[in-house]
Amino acid sequence: MEELKKKLLAYFTDLTIQIHDDYRMCINTQKETVVSLLNYLKNMGYEHFALLSCIDWIDKGEFELIYILSAYMEVCDKYQEKEQGIIIIKARISRDDAKVISVINVFENAEPYERELHEMFGIKFEGHPRLTPLMLEREYEIPPFRKDFDTLKYVDNTFGKIPSIEERKANYERT
Amino acid sequence: MRELELFFGPQHLGMVGNFSITLKVEGDRILKADANPGFLHRGFEKLMENRTWMQNFPLVCRINVVEPDHMELIYSMAVEKLAGIEVPERGKFIRSIYCEMARVGSHLFGLWAYANMLGFDTVAHWAMYHRDLLLDLFEELTGARVYHIYLRPGGVRRDFPDGFTDRLVETLHKIGGKVPDYNATFFENSIFKKRAEGIGTVTREEAIRMGAVGHTIKATGMKYDIRKIEPYDAYDQVDFDIPVRTGGDAYSRLLTIRDDMIESVHMIFKLIDKMPKSGEVYTKTPNPFKWTIPEGEAYVRCESSRGELGLYIVSNGGEKPYRVHFNTPSYNHGLTVLEKALVGESVSDVGNIMISLYVVAPEIDR
Amino acid sequence: MDRNQISKWFKNPGKMANKYSFHVVYFCTGCGIIEIPPSITTRWDAERFGIIPVATPRQANLFLITGYVSTKTLKAIIRTYEQMPEPKYTVAFGSCPINGGMYYDSYNTITSLDKYIPVDGYIAGCMPRPEAIFIGVTHLWKLIDMDKADGYKRYRRDYKFYRANQEQLFKELGWPPLFKDASL
Repeated sequence: MEELKKKLLAYFTDLTIQIHDDYRMCINTQKETVVSLLNYLKNMGYEHFALLSCIDWIDKGEFELIYILSAYMEVCDKYQEKEQGIIIIKARISRDDAKVISVINVFENAEPYERELHEMFGIKFEGHPRLTPLMLEREYEIPPFRKDFDTLKYVDNTFGKIPSIEERKANYERT
Repeated sequence: MRELELFFGPQHLGMVGNFSITLKVEGDRILKADANPGFLHRGFEKLMENRTWMQNFPLVCRINVVEPDHMELIYSMAVEKLAGIEVPERGKFIRSIYCEMARVGSHLFGLWAYANMLGFDTVAHWAMYHRDLLLDLFEELTGARVYHIYLRPGGVRRDFPDGFTDRLVETLHKIGGKVPDYNATFFENSIFKKRAEGIGTVTREEAIRMGAVGHTIKATGMKYDIRKIEPYDAYDQVDFDIPVRTGGDAYSRLLTIRDDMIESVHMIFKLIDKMPKSGEVYTKTPNPFKWTIPEGEAYVRCESSRGELGLYIVSNGGEKPYRVHFNTPSYNHGLTVLEKALVGESVSDVGNIMISLYVVAPEIDR
Repeated sequence: MDRNQISKWFKNPGKMANKYSFHVVYFCTGCGIIEIPPSITTRWDAERFGIIPVATPRQANLFLITGYVSTKTLKAIIRTYEQMPEPKYTVAFGSCPINGGMYYDSYNTITSLDKYIPVDGYIAGCMPRPEAIFIGVTHLWKLIDMDKADGYKRYRRDYKFYRANQEQLFKELGWPPLFKDASL
C-alpha cells in the first residue's frame, strides 16, 4: 500500500491519501481526476469495481461520490503475504449543479450504479448511454435519497390522501 | 425473421422472485435483454437513515429474503467497526456456525428453485424438506423461521441451547446422507446435463470485466472468496477449501454451489470441534435508545452465499446512520452479467440462466 | 369427505368445487413468498387443502399477495387480478398490505392494499408460518360458505371507485377499464 501511495503521489498532483490499518486506502480527489485515476488503478491490478455510492452533505451543499475498488485475488497458500486492500476514492461535486463524467468506459459494471444514483440523487452522468428510470415507477419532485426529501410527509401527501372505497362511495353519493 | 419484444416477468413461471426482463427476440434467440428491476424497491437505505442503530436490524434482514443472516452479519460488522467493539471468542464461533447454516439453507433453496424450474420435482421436494429441517434448528435457536434477528453488534443474542450442536450434527448428517441421491437424480442426470451444459457461459475475462463475484467467478476457476482473503469471525481459525470449476457455464456454476454446500457442512463440523466450550457470547453495548456512534466511515465485506457482500456506512456521530449503501452480489449479476449472458441464448433458458447466476430480486432492489 | 357435506354438494356444487380447488396464481409479490415453497412441498403439502400453484392468472382463482406492495408491483397486481376469471379470492399476507407495516414511511410502498383491489382476508405475521396460511385458507372456506368472500362482486359493483383510486395513484393506467361505466 505504501508503494502504491508513492506511485500515485508521483503520478497525480491533486491527491490526499490516507492509509488505515485495515488495508483501506482513502483517496480524496477532484471530480476531473476520477476517470484517469480509475484507469491508472485498473492497470495496477485493482480490477474489481465494488461500489459507486453517494453521500448528500446537505450542510455543505455538496454531494460526495464514493468509488470503491478492490483486487481480484487468486487465493493460494500464501494469501496472507499478498498485499490486498480496498481503495476508496472520494470526489465532491456541487449539489446545485450535480454533473460528473461517467466511468462506464473504464468499468463496465458501473452502469447500473450510475443509473441508480441518477434516479435517487439526481446526479447527471455525462456520457451514460441510458439514464432511464431503474427502480422507481413514479416521478418525484425531489429525488428521494436526498436529505431534504421527507418520506413521512410524502407518504401522507400521496398514499394518505387516497380515500378508502367506502369514503369515496359516500362522497359520491352525497354529491 | 421478425423481431419481437417479449416481457418476461414479473408474473411468469420461469421467473423466481419479482423481477422482470424485457427481451428482444428473433424466433427463439435473444438479441437483447434489458433487466427491469424495482418491483421490490422499498428504499431501505433511506428508511435506515430515519431509525436508530438497533432499530435497523429488522429492516436489514429483510433485504435478502432467502438468506437474511449475512445481512445481519454485515451490518453488525459495520457497527462494530465504527464503534470499536470486539466480539468474544465463543461469539465468533457461534456466528460462523450460524452463517454456515444459513449458507446451506440458502443453497438448498437455490436448488429447489433450479430443480423446480427445470421440472425435477423430486429433487425440489427433497431440497425444500431438507431446508425445513435446518429452519427447525433456526427456530429452536432464535425463535423465528425466516427472519431471525440473532446477530447483534458485539456478538450473538444468546448462547446455543443445551444439546443444540448434537442436533445440528445429526441434521447435517441426515442431509449429507442424501447427497448421493441428489447426484444420481439431479447433478449427474443426463437430462439435466443436457439442459445446463454450455448454457449462459461467462468466461473469466468477461467475469472480471463485469465485476462478477461468488459462484459466477468461482465457476471460471478463480478462487475468490472473502472468507479467505479478508477473514472475519472464526474463518481464519479453521481450514477449508474453496471449490472451483473451470467451465463457466450454468452446469459448472451449479456444481460449484453443490461443492460449496458440502464444504460448508464440513466446516460446521470443524467449527464445532474447535469452539471454546464456555465463555461470553456477546460484549455489552450501551442502551440502544441513547447509543451514539462516533463519526466515521467504514466499508466492510463478507462472503454471503451469493458472493461478496459489502456495506458502506457513514456515521455523523448521531443516534442514526447518516448513509448506508449495500453492495449486494445480485446487483452485479442481475443487472450487468445477466444482460450479457442472455444474449444469443434461447427464450426457454432465461430462468435457467437467471437462477444459475443466483439472482435474488429483493437484493437488487433493496 | 365429511358426511354432512354431501348435502352441501348437492345444494351448490359450483361453490363447493371452487372452495376445494384453489388455484394460486404464481406471482411472487413480496417476501412472504419464501414460505410458499415449504407449504406446497412434502412437509406441509398444501394439496391436502386443494391448493396448487398455476402458471397463468387465467386459470387461477386465488391470489396470494405475499407481503408489501410497491407501486411498481401494484400495477402488475391490478393487471393480474383483472385477468383472473370470476369467482376469485384475494388473501394478503403480513401486516404490510394492511397498513404499511414496517414500511409505513417508505416512499415506494403503498400503505393499504384494499383501496386499490378488494381483499377477502388477511393473514397476520411476518412471515405467516405455513400453518397460518392453512388456517387462513380454511377460514376462507367458511367465508365462501357464508357468501362473505365477495371481493370480486364488490370489485364489479364499485369498479368506478376502485378505478378512480388507481388513477389517482398512477395518473394514467395504460389499459382500458375492465367493466363499463367506469368513470365517476
